[in-house]
Amino acid sequence: MSWLHSVVLLPFLYALMIPFLYRYVSRIHTGWFVLPLPLILFVVLGSWLVDISEGETMLYTLSWIPSYGINLSFYVDGLSLVFGFLISGIGALVVLYSIFYLSKTRELLHNFYVYMLLFMGAMLGVVFSDNLIGFYLFWELTSISSFLLIAFWYQRKKSRNGAQKAMLITVSGGFSMLAGIVLLHSMAGTYSIRGIISQAGELQEHSLFLPAMIFVLIGAFAKSAQFPFHIWLPDAMEAPTPISAYLHSATMVKAGIYAIARFTPLFGGTGEWFWIITSVGLVTLFWGAVNAMKQTDLKALLAFSTISQLGLITSLLGIGSLALAVTEEAETALYTTAVLAAVFHLVNHSTFKGCLFMVIGIIDHETGTRDTRKLGGLMSLMPISFTLTLIGSLSMAGVPPFNGFLSKELFFTSSLSLEETGIFSAGAAGLLIPAVAWVASIFTFVYSMILIFHTFRGKYRPRRLEKKPKEAPPGMLISPAVLAAFVIGIFFAPNVLAHYVLEPMVASILPGDAGDFSIHIEAWHGFNKELFMTLGVIVLGSILFLTWKRWKGIFTLFPQVYTLNNAYSSGILKAEQAAYSFTNIYMSGLTRDYIQYILGILIILAGGMLLFSEGISFRRIDVSTIEVYEVLLAVGLVAGALTVMLASKRLTAIIAIGAVGYLVALFFVIFRAPDLALTQLVVETVSVALYLLCLRFLPEFRFRETARRVQIPNLIISLGVGVLITSFTLAAQGNKLFPSISVYFEDSYELAGSRNMVNAILADFRGFDTLLEIMVLCIAGLGVYSLISLRMKEKRDDHEN
Amino acid sequence: MNNIVILPIVIPFLTGALLVLFPKYVMIQRLLSVLSFLAVMGTAVHLLQQVGGEGIQILNLGGWEAPFGIVLVADTFSLLLVITSCIVALGCLIYSFQSIEWERERFYYYAFIQFLITGVNGSFLTGDIFNLFVFFEVMLLASYVLLSLGGLKKQLRAGIMYVLINIVSSMLFIVAVAYLYAVTGTLNMAHLSVRVAEAGQPDLLTAIALLFLVIFAVKSALLFFYWLPESYSAPPTAISALFAGLLTKVGVYAIFRMFTLIFYHEPGITHSVIAWMAGLTMILGSIGAVAYGNIQKVLAYNIVIAIGFIVIGIAVFQEAALTGAIYYLIHDMVVKTLLFLLGGAMVGLVGTYQLKEMSGMIRNHPYLGWMFFIASFALVGVPPLSGFFGKLLVLQGTLETQFYVLGVIGLLSSLAVLYSTMKIFMNGFWGENQLSKEDEKTSTHGLLLPCTLLICVSLFLGIGVEWVNPYVAAAASDLMNPAVYIEAVLGPA
Repeated sequence: MSWLHSVVLLPFLYALMIPFLYRYVSRIHTGWFVLPLPLILFVVLGSWLVDISEGETMLYTLSWIPSYGINLSFYVDGLSLVFGFLISGIGALVVLYSIFYLSKTRELLHNFYVYMLLFMGAMLGVVFSDNLIGFYLFWELTSISSFLLIAFWYQRKKSRNGAQKAMLITVSGGFSMLAGIVLLHSMAGTYSIRGIISQAGELQEHSLFLPAMIFVLIGAFAKSAQFPFHIWLPDAMEAPTPISAYLHSATMVKAGIYAIARFTPLFGGTGEWFWIITSVGLVTLFWGAVNAMKQTDLKALLAFSTISQLGLITSLLGIGSLALAVTEEAETALYTTAVLAAVFHLVNHSTFKGCLFMVIGIIDHETGTRDTRKLGGLMSLMPISFTLTLIGSLSMAGVPPFNGFLSKELFFTSSLSLEETGIFSAGAAGLLIPAVAWVASIFTFVYSMILIFHTFRGKYRPRRLEKKPKEAPPGMLISPAVLAAFVIGIFFAPNVLAHYVLEPMVASILPGDAGDFSIHIEAWHGFNKELFMTLGVIVLGSILFLTWKRWKGIFTLFPQVYTLNNAYSSGILKAEQAAYSFTNIYMSGLTRDYIQYILGILIILAGGMLLFSEGISFRRIDVSTIEVYEVLLAVGLVAGALTVMLASKRLTAIIAIGAVGYLVALFFVIFRAPDLALTQLVVETVSVALYLLCLRFLPEFRFRETARRVQIPNLIISLGVGVLITSFTLAAQGNKLFPSISVYFEDSYELAGSRNMVNAILADFRGFDTLLEIMVLCIAGLGVYSLISLRMKEKRDDHEN
Repeated sequence: MNNIVILPIVIPFLTGALLVLFPKYVMIQRLLSVLSFLAVMGTAVHLLQQVGGEGIQILNLGGWEAPFGIVLVADTFSLLLVITSCIVALGCLIYSFQSIEWERERFYYYAFIQFLITGVNGSFLTGDIFNLFVFFEVMLLASYVLLSLGGLKKQLRAGIMYVLINIVSSMLFIVAVAYLYAVTGTLNMAHLSVRVAEAGQPDLLTAIALLFLVIFAVKSALLFFYWLPESYSAPPTAISALFAGLLTKVGVYAIFRMFTLIFYHEPGITHSVIAWMAGLTMILGSIGAVAYGNIQKVLAYNIVIAIGFIVIGIAVFQEAALTGAIYYLIHDMVVKTLLFLLGGAMVGLVGTYQLKEMSGMIRNHPYLGWMFFIASFALVGVPPLSGFFGKLLVLQGTLETQFYVLGVIGLLSSLAVLYSTMKIFMNGFWGENQLSKEDEKTSTHGLLLPCTLLICVSLFLGIGVEWVNPYVAAAASDLMNPAVYIEAVLGPA
């Protein structure tokens, strides 16, 4: 155990105490007890900042399954530390916010904070784990805690559906991640991420390299809500707003991005990695922005905006991965800028989006609605909230003097940098990438404006609101205000952040020479392309926003039926129905059918094997001469068996069964096994007598005409089984490979003192079998007795579905 | 020679016989039943230590040397399963105390359970294929009775199907044993292994192997699971949970034993067939698990999925995968029983199997709910719960042997497990609570204790891999080296 382990494991231990605190100290809001934890974590992590920023790293291992190389080993470098700050820092702000957001009396606070602490620990585990199994463990745990948090109001159907959707997509993504991990382990022979990265060169030649990459990426995309997996995020907004701010914008959804960044030293520098990530990122960026514009629910708008922004970061990481493919220093620096932009925007996004979510939560809390069609004119009523929204939205739109502007500029720089490159034929895309980036930015500007103006300007319509709006209590405003302060602060002093936080982060993503550089971020860098792009965004965006009413109709042109979301919901429903009707086809409930399947497959497998096998001879069977009376007996047997099947009365059938049994006994007599014959006779007599006895209690048997489609398969199966068993018997008889051990028993008198070998076998050599067979009979007897005597009353008959 | 080897069979056998004598004294019946299982567990743990130190322990019954008499063989694999069976049986037994109606209790209920365990433990420990048949019969007879005990309509309906299908397969079993004996001239499994190896497993023997495969597949619900959903939902919860944990697993044990000890020379044929069956089982099981809105059925199809997954270990026929499969088998016995018990408690409260008619139970039954939640994720194979490690090794095995499709099906089937168990959780425990304490049909009083016991075992299996796995790895290694088993039974070659 180390300090590092405590950082990750403390939230879990703390979570155990919460239910007790909730129960026994119910006068104080449970959130106050939780608040110190993320603060302490933040301070502990902060104390490492200077060391880490100088390039040091820390690694501690806690054994779990050392014999398989599975451990909880935690590793701190620039990348994980920054995530640690986001998790603990925003975590603290969210806890503070939640104390005012969630009512002490009405809500199940212990659930809320337990899940949240589980999440916090899990998320810290994800970013600090070096061992991939530990990584996977925490990865799934974040999905599970997110599932629980989305369904915090589990009475609501929408919450449950949203939770289910989020879990299905993220956990399946996790399975894909696991497949990737297994592949990586089989290639590299270790679960350690650093160990795997150190073999990056050899691994890239491996045939499983590409499958591993794709599996890992699917996992990362699912988690980070990248197209086409993004559909879970809007529905996850059913969670309480503090959770949306924390998990679904600032931290959990960035786990996928973390994974991409973490694996860049391994997979980066290959064409597939670059193309997959860049294109998925750009599509997500574009699609999220388009969808954000048409939302009327403010949280849904923020959800799509988050999807879009995550796509932006992803695409930047894609472009940045080229730094590992090029050798020329100038080019390397170019792509390194993209990675810088990615991590910079990651931090910025967490600040402005966290702030916006919290403000939207305030609006929802104070007015009772988040619908832009009902809201409006709140500026004078909620001036502080308005200011905070303004700061957050403008930063999101990429307008100075806010931090979003800086990273947006860097994004343009990076997208432009691809224009001339020859590598992976990236240049072929030409202007496409910057164009997409630019158009998406315009849309971003538009929805940012919608967010501000449709909420705070326009007409104030108090009748449409559930509550009379007023400014939120100060406690609720602290957290978004702190984030807003960062939004502005970073703009004015970006290089403090760059030095301590971004540089070590970039160095972790791009190891070696590529990451060895110093960063200087400037707000003003002359009249260049990027600046004109930004100006274009602002001008065109404003025009689009002002003409919004005229063209918003185009969103309705695209039918709802064809959306991915719809495909998912109807897919789930249809899959269940299809599964139901498919299963019901073969699960007919008829024993006859089930026995047919079994015997049918038996005939195919064993019969097929027998048919195509070599070396089986039927000639070697030493058959004695077959006498006429033996043939007659056999014919009698067959006739008896046929009578059983064709009989129209029970009595006939039973007599025929008896006849078959007696004929078999006759065979025993002929083949000189008098003891067997006697046994057989006794058994037959008793059983026929019993059958007849039972017959008295049974209703009249009615011979039913069975349909041909039942009869024909029955005939085929029975003939098949007959042929199979006969040929098996002949083959076994004719192909004895070894002398039987029964020779040993011939000395039964010497060995066991019995002149009758059969008796000796039954009572001595294999007496244990006999004992157990007696036991079987006893159980059967007791069973029959209980069955007859115990007839319990039928309870309510459960109908089948 | 070690006489203790027979104790796991004799203790429940004698206890059962004793319990038959005074069916009305329920308290003594309960006490003796618990003591019996504790004693079996104690001896099995003791034997496990012995096997660890001195190698496989055997007992020639009646003093007749192998291969002429019947031999009992206790190796790590069988002992692990004996121990797990005891834990599972103990859980179900304690659950019965509160949940089984007094009518059933007085009709030899506890005796039949002892007989069932006699059959199960005997199947694990015997080293003779005919004796295996006999133990199967003991187990099946006891299960027939337990299934129909009470004589409710649905029990009888399910019982007749269960009995018919098992009788057909038992008949095939005895026929197959006869063929095997005709060709090889022996019944002792170690001796069979030697002779089959000597003959180089000619095609006829492979055909017989396939015959055995079909038989054991019926018993283990591998591909032939049609009898399972109905017959496992007919009896009271404690019994169906016991069946869920044990019966199919005995079939799986038999497949593992036969296809590592005796018929391992033609993996291209036999093990490929197993691979196909495993894949199809997982697919059909997944579809079935998603299809229904009835707790018992959903859980029953989950048994099917797990059987397919476990059998991957033998299909890919590689030591790591086999280790994983055994680990998963042990985990599945515990967790599947647990889920059946928890599901039964839910059904008991609401009085229906239909998910549609349940809602919001977490309000009054949080422990039940969270146990179900944890057990579900253990089943899905989320670390650090018990299903994970086995699943990981099996997946690695499929990868290293290039059974990619099987690995992918295995992963996708986890998704079906997740979907179907979460469907139960979300419908049963979330939503508006519609059931006040007074309206509940039964109480969960006394039912949570055995569930807690099993969930602790599951957690231990998950977190304590490092302690448990040496045994499992030893079991797998012995299975992959039949020579160890042969030498223990027949002496040094």
